[in-house]
Amino acid sequence: MSLTRRTFLAGSGALALPFLLASCGFVQTAPAERRQGTLTFTTWGTDAELAGFRAAIAAFEAANEGATVELNAVPYEQMFTNIDAQLQAGNPPDIFRVPYYTFGAYAGRGQLLDLTPLLSADRQGQFTPQAWAAVQNGDGTFGLPHHTDTSAILVNLDLFRQAGIDASEIPTSADQAWTWDQLDALGERLRAGLPADRWPWAYNWQGNGVTRWLSLLFQSDGAFLESDQKTPAIDSDAARETVAFSSSFFTKNYVPANNTIASSSYAAESWFSQSVAMVWSGAFQIPDAEQTADFEWTATFAPRNVRAGSDFGGNALVATANTQQPELAAAFLEFVTDADPMRDFCRAASLLPTRADLLNDDLEFDVRPDLAPVFAGQASLVQPQDVAQVASPSMSAIIPVLKEQLDLAFTGAQDAATTVTNLQSGIGAATGG
Amino acid sequence: MADTLAIPAPRTQQTRRPRRPGARREALAAYGFVAPNYLLLLVFVLVPLGGAFLVSLQRTDGFGAGEFAGLDNYARLASEPLFWRALGNTLLFTALVTPLSMLLGLVAATLLNTALPARPLWRSLLILPMAVSGVATALIGVLMFDQNSGILNRLLSAVGLSPVTWQSDPVPAFATIVLATVWWRTGFNMLIYLAGLQGIGPDLYEAATLDGANRLQRFRHVTVPLLGPTTFFLVVLNVIFSFQVFDIVFVLTGGGPGGATSVLVTYAYETGFVTRDQGYAAAIGMVLFVFALVFAAAQYRASRTKDVVE
Repeated sequence: MSLTRRTFLAGSGALALPFLLASCGFVQTAPAERRQGTLTFTTWGTDAELAGFRAAIAAFEAANEGATVELNAVPYEQMFTNIDAQLQAGNPPDIFRVPYYTFGAYAGRGQLLDLTPLLSADRQGQFTPQAWAAVQNGDGTFGLPHHTDTSAILVNLDLFRQAGIDASEIPTSADQAWTWDQLDALGERLRAGLPADRWPWAYNWQGNGVTRWLSLLFQSDGAFLESDQKTPAIDSDAARETVAFSSSFFTKNYVPANNTIASSSYAAESWFSQSVAMVWSGAFQIPDAEQTADFEWTATFAPRNVRAGSDFGGNALVATANTQQPELAAAFLEFVTDADPMRDFCRAASLLPTRADLLNDDLEFDVRPDLAPVFAGQASLVQPQDVAQVASPSMSAIIPVLKEQLDLAFTGAQDAATTVTNLQSGIGAATGG
Repeated sequence: MADTLAIPAPRTQQTRRPRRPGARREALAAYGFVAPNYLLLLVFVLVPLGGAFLVSLQRTDGFGAGEFAGLDNYARLASEPLFWRALGNTLLFTALVTPLSMLLGLVAATLLNTALPARPLWRSLLILPMAVSGVATALIGVLMFDQNSGILNRLLSAVGLSPVTWQSDPVPAFATIVLATVWWRTGFNMLIYLAGLQGIGPDLYEAATLDGANRLQRFRHVTVPLLGPTTFFLVVLNVIFSFQVFDIVFVLTGGGPGGATSVLVTYAYETGFVTRDQGYAAAIGMVLFVFALVFAAAQYRASRTKDVVE
């Protein structure tokens, strides 16, 4: 066959087409040779979580010949000072694990890889809208939501009985969850029925867990940021009602006096020591509770006010902007958020999946499988607009404002109206909005 | 003014001391031995210090290049109530912990310098906290001071006393960090004082006894002055340690309740690593450095007994 100019151009075009399409983002799967190499992956985790990551890594390496992932497990307390220092020094890991409330601080400052051109076309549809909202920043997708967790209520049935409250009064479905008024009435009965050194409940808002106070704000249909994630929106009746309601836990002696934001004692410890009858808690406490609690216990839904509301806890997996192997990093992130690895991880670690196909009534935990529907049901009540606020790039600057002002409200040093006014100005200063 | 300056006389052969044979080689050897220390000091202290000062002049979250802000961060410090509260807490903490832990250390050292039954055991017990990290000390403190399930409140309840609100009231919360630190630091002070006491010869005490001095007078007029250099060393060290307190406060109280136990370093940590306002955090660090430096210099000038030797 003679080679004409036309056949030469057509042939060249056909050969070049895959490369052109790939560069435009139309071809989603990285070529095999780009899936070779070594990724570094830094995370913290419980034993069950680390075992889950190791299993996922082994399966990924088996499925991608020539690819290896080096897992660097560090204590949670050191995790982000280390990551920050490594990012500043220019030698971060390729992949790390990040809570949703910290995610924005990295994504909003150009430290994370925009995965948009690297992900499979159907990826977004696999996740719940809340989870997908939690890894967005601007127009980009800067991570994949690996798992979530939200606070329901763990109940000590022995203390309920002691206070004369029957287990049948405990809600078993989301639409029966206690209203704020019912919770207040329950607090009164528990207070009256329990000894002075036992309290109705403890709330898990210690330290950076202060973001869990926002669940109460969302239950009042309040917000702390406008949809631009910048303009403060907490100066509202909903916020004043929420501050007054949560402060009443202290004035009515429903919580131990040291259940403050800055307390060094976590709420769960009070529940384990049977100082409190109920505690707001994530499902991750279930294995510990099953092993440690020597009393009968169960779980129920968080309360509701104008609507249901809950915190969107958990973590995403992200790749750093300057990783030398973006395709391999994206492939690994996709692999660990595939259905089987995510299901195995969540079952063993008592965490909730972020894939819509896994987050249903069939979800099981290895420990106390009967409680999985409570936590899964609670997670389904989280609204995407609530998650988007918590994923604000300014969240790391907003958290200290919440801690300071709510601590003042809870210790009685500041009334609800002043607290909300200060929160509005403090959040405005933190976001520059 | 120039004409009032004394002009040094030109050195003559008579005024110059004769150089010892080998002195130059000895000096070189001395510089050789000292050089690694100076190099480490330069690389790990002075260079980071200079770097921190430069960061304190910027608005930066640590990612990318910062924006030069001049003295804005320092001006912000002056108008920030949280900073003044943290500074006040740091000074109060220093004023309480330094004399308390030194006094207890001196009493313990004096007792353990005498013929006491099981003396090595007592010494070991007192020195033991030195081997424990600050975080572990604070965790022990949490076990002691938890106001619902802590050991102290259970003991108080057992003897019919009301429990103390160690974690929810400002004054008891501040007391917890002082008590935990004093427990931690007394052993160290005792050890240094013990070394100082063992450097005082028994002949001085014999002479004082012959002069009719009683036990208290011997302590007041012999022991205390001769422990001057030790005390000077410990004051400087304890003050600097107290200015730098972090781990015990961070773990034991988290700066609460309501900022009642927030100190400069926890405030800087929160600002630098939680809020990621690293320029402002560096400015807090520089203030802390200047305080420690000024105090050490003032103490050096004021201490009349720092060079007293037997």
